[in-house]
Amino acid sequence: MTEDKPPRKEESAGLMKYSAENLVPFGPIHPALKEPEYFKLVLEGEKIVEVIPRIGYVHRGLEKAAESRPWVQNMYMFERTCGICSFVHSLTYGQAVEGLTIYEIPRRAKFIRTIIAELERIHSHLLWVGLMGHWAGFETLFMWVWRDREVVLDLVEAISGNRIHKSMNAFCGVRRDMPEGMEDRIVERMKFLVDRANYYKGIVDTEETMLERTEDIGRVSAETAEKLCAVGPMARYVGLRRDIRLNDPYAAYDEVPFDVVTSKEGDVHALLKLRLDEMIVAANMVSYAVKHLPEGPIRIKIPPVIPAGEHSSHSEAPRGEIFYYVKSSGGRTPDRVKSRQPTMANLPTALEILKGQTIADVPVVLTAIDPCFGCMDRMSFLDIESNRQWTWSGEELRRYGINYYFPERMKMR
Amino acid sequence: MINEILQAIIFPGVLFTIAMGFLFDWLDRKTAARMQGRIGPKITGPSGILQPLADFLKLLFKEEIIPSHADRVIFLFAPALYFLAPLLSMLFIPIIGPTPLAGFEFDLLAILFLLAYAAFVVTILSYSSASSFTTIATGRLVLQYVSYEIPLVLAIITAALYSRSLSVEGIVASQSTLWNILVMPFAFGVYIIALMAELEKPPFDIPSAKTEIVAGWLTEFSGRALSFLKLTKEVGYVFGSALAVSLFLGGGLGPEVAAVPPPVLYFVYFMVKLLLVGFLIFVLKTALARIKIGQATELFWKILTPVSLAQIAFVLVLIQGGVLVAT
Repeated sequence: MTEDKPPRKEESAGLMKYSAENLVPFGPIHPALKEPEYFKLVLEGEKIVEVIPRIGYVHRGLEKAAESRPWVQNMYMFERTCGICSFVHSLTYGQAVEGLTIYEIPRRAKFIRTIIAELERIHSHLLWVGLMGHWAGFETLFMWVWRDREVVLDLVEAISGNRIHKSMNAFCGVRRDMPEGMEDRIVERMKFLVDRANYYKGIVDTEETMLERTEDIGRVSAETAEKLCAVGPMARYVGLRRDIRLNDPYAAYDEVPFDVVTSKEGDVHALLKLRLDEMIVAANMVSYAVKHLPEGPIRIKIPPVIPAGEHSSHSEAPRGEIFYYVKSSGGRTPDRVKSRQPTMANLPTALEILKGQTIADVPVVLTAIDPCFGCMDRMSFLDIESNRQWTWSGEELRRYGINYYFPERMKMR
Repeated sequence: MINEILQAIIFPGVLFTIAMGFLFDWLDRKTAARMQGRIGPKITGPSGILQPLADFLKLLFKEEIIPSHADRVIFLFAPALYFLAPLLSMLFIPIIGPTPLAGFEFDLLAILFLLAYAAFVVTILSYSSASSFTTIATGRLVLQYVSYEIPLVLAIITAALYSRSLSVEGIVASQSTLWNILVMPFAFGVYIIALMAELEKPPFDIPSAKTEIVAGWLTEFSGRALSFLKLTKEVGYVFGSALAVSLFLGGGLGPEVAAVPPPVLYFVYFMVKLLLVGFLIFVLKTALARIKIGQATELFWKILTPVSLAQIAFVLVLIQGGVLVAT
């Protein structure tokens, strides 16, 4: 590999036409980013003319790691892809694997999955609304919303024993049943959350400083969003009726009634209201599912060997469509797992929106897509001068790393 | 002579002002925490009242890093120059009696000069550290300064016009029958809003917006310089509120109580009003989100400047018409 070693480059070649004074780095370590990701902002005064992202700072190679682990273990590993929408990752991976088997998932398990997924949606949306306040410089909203988020986390803890990584899923079922006598408590807490969501809707509608920061910010047309494959709330806030729960029901979504919230305005203010509305819908879904929870088993035990074949599954994470593809050759480990996270799908839209905004809007717009950069990170090798792509094995990567940081050690060999 | 020097250094001079700065910092944090459903500082001292002091001391002993591109001379000395501005200004405010420590006939002009001086020092100090974040912060700082300066000065001038005096002492003395705020409520409002812009409190924390440009113009400072810059902001807070009390709320004037000696009474009234004004700003800053720099400029030029001009016209009509003439 020594002769075709790619040149050490700090910047991609496309940046060379801009002078250094106009470039403002946003990240990878920045107070507005909770995860490391790097955006080069090309500015004209306070106005952004170009954004160049550089992703991959926390790439851990989960898809590759999955190939050397048993099917079941992967489920809990993929759950750890994201610290916020953890359940939906294991759910979608589980559904993809279940598609390869012949077993029917018990109805009660489907309902429990729906309940947990919707609780997770409430928690994720609350977290996002709080961060939105934080990034718009509204600390009080952040503190209040995150206090209410504890309500959901307490419920999730009461049901699953964990606050964030629920570890509830199993193949063809769930691992834990709903605790006895939780219905009243859940229904009462959901009512409280609906009240709070309505209250926050009032705040984002009437609070002048908040309106000034969010109205008319982050506008994008429905055509652009569709062309750039926006998913989840980012598609719904421009009026596209895209929701996997509706378009391709999974778990118990065909039995629990719900509305798909869409908006026509297409700015950050609309996104705020849309997510709060979705939260209300989710809270009502949880109440309904808890009241109509069917009796029966929660799980079917399946053998650790999954039949050969390939299958894909998608579901509606709080941030948008999540997609898993699995391929099995009938062994104890998968041949290939591919996952596509909503942030990856929404990033092109966000970069498009950022052009023409001011630097003060960067945190607001980047937050608007509810980014999870850790989920999104990808890695590929590309030489932009010769336009050559290649793949490295683990050993080659290791040698490249040593060579990059300690060239003298390589010479000694 | 000795007495006056002690007064200037300890009470109600420099040390008292600094102590008030720490107290305001603590009250600010405590109020914000209470409003946000948190507890706030509580370990150091009773209810955490010593926390700002502890933070200040901790920062004093931290390593000081000077960026290689920075202008070393300005970078090292400007924080000290900046620290002087609110400390000096405080000497013109009457705190324990109708006469301030260093008052003279036109000391209001000196205060206006010191306000401009502080903004100027911050600007060169910000520019001297030469990083992308501070460069943006400098631009915002200057734009914000030219925005709030006109309404701020107009509001101060309104009080001076009505009281027919250019000294803080004279303005306070003229309010013995009627506080200025009752004659010019809009001038007081404009002053408070402009003061929040000067202190970079939300919604005007644009030059130090932490989610956009790290710590704004404070980004490159560390250790001693940072501790003093932060303290200066707090002392500026105290001074801004004290000036509001003197110009609009009648300083330490209030109903006399026979049993209490006048200086003590004057001081108590002054402190109560000072804390009330401070509290008003704490609440406002906690309840609002940050706006953008263009919106701030629009607010000050399109709304607050006409409002303060109208207030001046109103006061002039009152004086000309002989209605409600100040003593």
